[in-house]
Amino acid sequence: MSHPLLTAVPGERHLMLGNEAIVRGALEAGINFVTCYPGTPSSEVPDTFRRLGGADGRYRLEYSVNEKVAVEVAAGASLAGAMSLVTMKHVGVNVAADPLLTMTYVGLPGGLVMLSADDPGCHSSQNEQDNRHYARFAGLPCFEPATAQEAKDMTRDALLLARDLEQPVLLRTTTRLNHLRGPVETGPLPEPAARVKIAKNPQRFVPVPAVARGRHQALERALAQARSRAEQSPWNRMRGKGRLGVIGSGIARAYLADALYAGGWEDRVRVLDLGMTWPLPEEMLSEFLSSCDRVLVLEEGAPLLERDLRALAQHRAIPVSIEGKGDILTLYGEYSTSAVMRALAAFMGETASLPEAPVAATENLPGRPPNLCAGCSHRAVYYAVRKTFGDDAFYSSDIGCYTLGMLPPLRMADFLVCMGSSVSAGSGFAMAADKPVVAFIGDSTFFHSGMTGLANAVFNRHDLLIIVLDNGTTAMTGHQPNPGMLQDVLGESAVHLDIESVVRGLGVTEVTKVKAYNLRNLLKALEDMKAKSGVRVIIAEEPCVLYARRTLKKVSPQIATVAEQGAEARRCLEELACPAFTRDGDVVGVDETLCAGCMVCLQVAPGVFRARKRGE
Amino acid sequence: MSERIRIYMTGVGGQGTLTATTLLARTALDQGLDVVAGEVHGMAQRGGVVESVVLLGGWLSPKLGHGEADVIMGFEPLETLRALPYLAPGGVIFSSVDPLPPLGVSLGRDAYPAQEDINARVAAAAAKYRHLPCRALGREAGSVQSGNTVLLGAVCASGVLPFGPEALEAAIRRHLPPRLVDVNLRAAALGADAVRSA
Repeated sequence: MSHPLLTAVPGERHLMLGNEAIVRGALEAGINFVTCYPGTPSSEVPDTFRRLGGADGRYRLEYSVNEKVAVEVAAGASLAGAMSLVTMKHVGVNVAADPLLTMTYVGLPGGLVMLSADDPGCHSSQNEQDNRHYARFAGLPCFEPATAQEAKDMTRDALLLARDLEQPVLLRTTTRLNHLRGPVETGPLPEPAARVKIAKNPQRFVPVPAVARGRHQALERALAQARSRAEQSPWNRMRGKGRLGVIGSGIARAYLADALYAGGWEDRVRVLDLGMTWPLPEEMLSEFLSSCDRVLVLEEGAPLLERDLRALAQHRAIPVSIEGKGDILTLYGEYSTSAVMRALAAFMGETASLPEAPVAATENLPGRPPNLCAGCSHRAVYYAVRKTFGDDAFYSSDIGCYTLGMLPPLRMADFLVCMGSSVSAGSGFAMAADKPVVAFIGDSTFFHSGMTGLANAVFNRHDLLIIVLDNGTTAMTGHQPNPGMLQDVLGESAVHLDIESVVRGLGVTEVTKVKAYNLRNLLKALEDMKAKSGVRVIIAEEPCVLYARRTLKKVSPQIATVAEQGAEARRCLEELACPAFTRDGDVVGVDETLCAGCMVCLQVAPGVFRARKRGE
Repeated sequence: MSERIRIYMTGVGGQGTLTATTLLARTALDQGLDVVAGEVHGMAQRGGVVESVVLLGGWLSPKLGHGEADVIMGFEPLETLRALPYLAPGGVIFSSVDPLPPLGVSLGRDAYPAQEDINARVAAAAAKYRHLPCRALGREAGSVQSGNTVLLGAVCASGVLPFGPEALEAAIRRHLPPRLVDVNLRAAALGADAVRSA
């Protein structure tokens, strides 16, 4: 396939998404194998590898069923000598923490880089955890790019370092880096890396206690080597002059550069750009701290660097004041150019000429929250569940588009812990609650970690109704493959698994499968299951409406139209809240371009809506 | 050093805001300018607000704060209004006049602001502004979807950027799929004409 990521010769400049630059960097290192579980903001990395189609056998890509599996598969490949990359969002690293904290002991000869795409500001996540903790926790050398060019180059360098040290390396990004676009000058594209020849060596690779104790020391020796690399790394640079110092890491380095430019302060401070952020280059940092009276630390998230620098200064008796988190630079959300300007101004004792917005924040504007799409099958299921249970049930939600069902009028989420928790947290909730529990889980999430919760629910005789919202794809993150996807779409590289067979195989006897757009069957299945107890599963099938249109090329030839205005039409609009509905006073309408033709409204309010041909 | 300019773009998920962002960034890069574009993908795109930035001339930060945008491009009028605090002193605004009512408005819970109110608040905030019938001009060019390119054409022809409409035309030819080139060239020209005739 002809694509600039594959065809660009050294010295060409291309505009790349941060995540595309990571792909090019991996190719420039000679990547052999990529595994992932999709998750915003990491997903474009595997999706770009997928679009490149393996690049004539250069590499192999797999969408694993969850992050733990993805890391283990990649670690296995690396143990056997392949250069591997494994990608996930920040919370995915928690899922993968078990293999992560031991693979640093045994080491991985082929080289492995883990991309952790963090999400300060929770643009599309349930928390804003700072995965630089994992670099310290597990013992991972860590790179943090701030530009598209760095994303490419640091990915390459991280993979080469991983192979060189035989230790896994962390590539830690944040949403802004993953989703920025910038010019990238490409380097040479070598042949894929040769597999490292492996000899059997259980005394290293099987961490029984006697081996593990020795390997812990081996890890520390490897980190000492990595530390000396950090001292020499071109990604750690000092510039500027004076007795006031600023140390920036991650995307905060971009805000620092812009703030210094905007304030005209480029000659006022000494700067240390930290790109390879673990292990810390202690000699370089000591030199920097010693040359300053005061140092301001710029890092989004937790004050990790700030504390480490205080410890270093104390340990080496360097008389320097270290500043960082406070009223301006907080633990929360993202930094910005203006926040860094304010912090720098306060640090330097300047009254900054900060840009003043001519317009104050606009208030009382109609909101535009994200919403289930017009024709989304989840809406039909949620409507039917609300009709059946109303507020006399607790709704256990999970991670996916369907979390958006928490909004009124559907209000189909009462609690959520993490990916795959709907079944297991729902089980526990049902033990303590005075109302029945209905749990919702998508197909990809079911395979991710719902199956284990389901096995547990059967095993421990829990009592809940589980509804698998099977839309045939990983919808939220952009329609990545999962085991539930149709065989025709998966092609030859993957095998379809049937959710109903899995559910029955795990010992569930009360299982029924319905089409989500068929409201009558759906309501009947819900009534049947409501009357029963124990673990019950309804599989509600209907392809994601966007996926049906884009991938399956299925577009309904019909759309809905209002046949009879009145209270029933308004009830349907208010209870279903499909984005295709319009309302002008008491007059209800259906937007022809938005209507997907699911015809659920015809069943919600029979006689009020009717079908007509699209475009007539 | 070339002039530094910060552009804030805003629209509604599914409208093609990010495609327009990428096209503008590629146009700038093809002109040899330093460029950084910033976007947020994912949940925000499910019918929510989509905001992005294009920074020219050496800025590195892929996002903007209030008071920092030299140019606001609004692909939807309510979102133009919501974006006004991002405008820098002396900033300019280019906006579509075609509303996409949010769900709360469709359901009768919220009221969409009147276009006259939007115009008045834009006029009070901006040093210079243009409201364009992007959808109608896009249709005239051959597809409603090319309405975003109308707005790009207008901005490029207005003289606020370090390149003109020829640069955009070249980028359309170079970067868009062949079947979309003609309609987008027409859309860019219609946007440019709308500014020139003003």
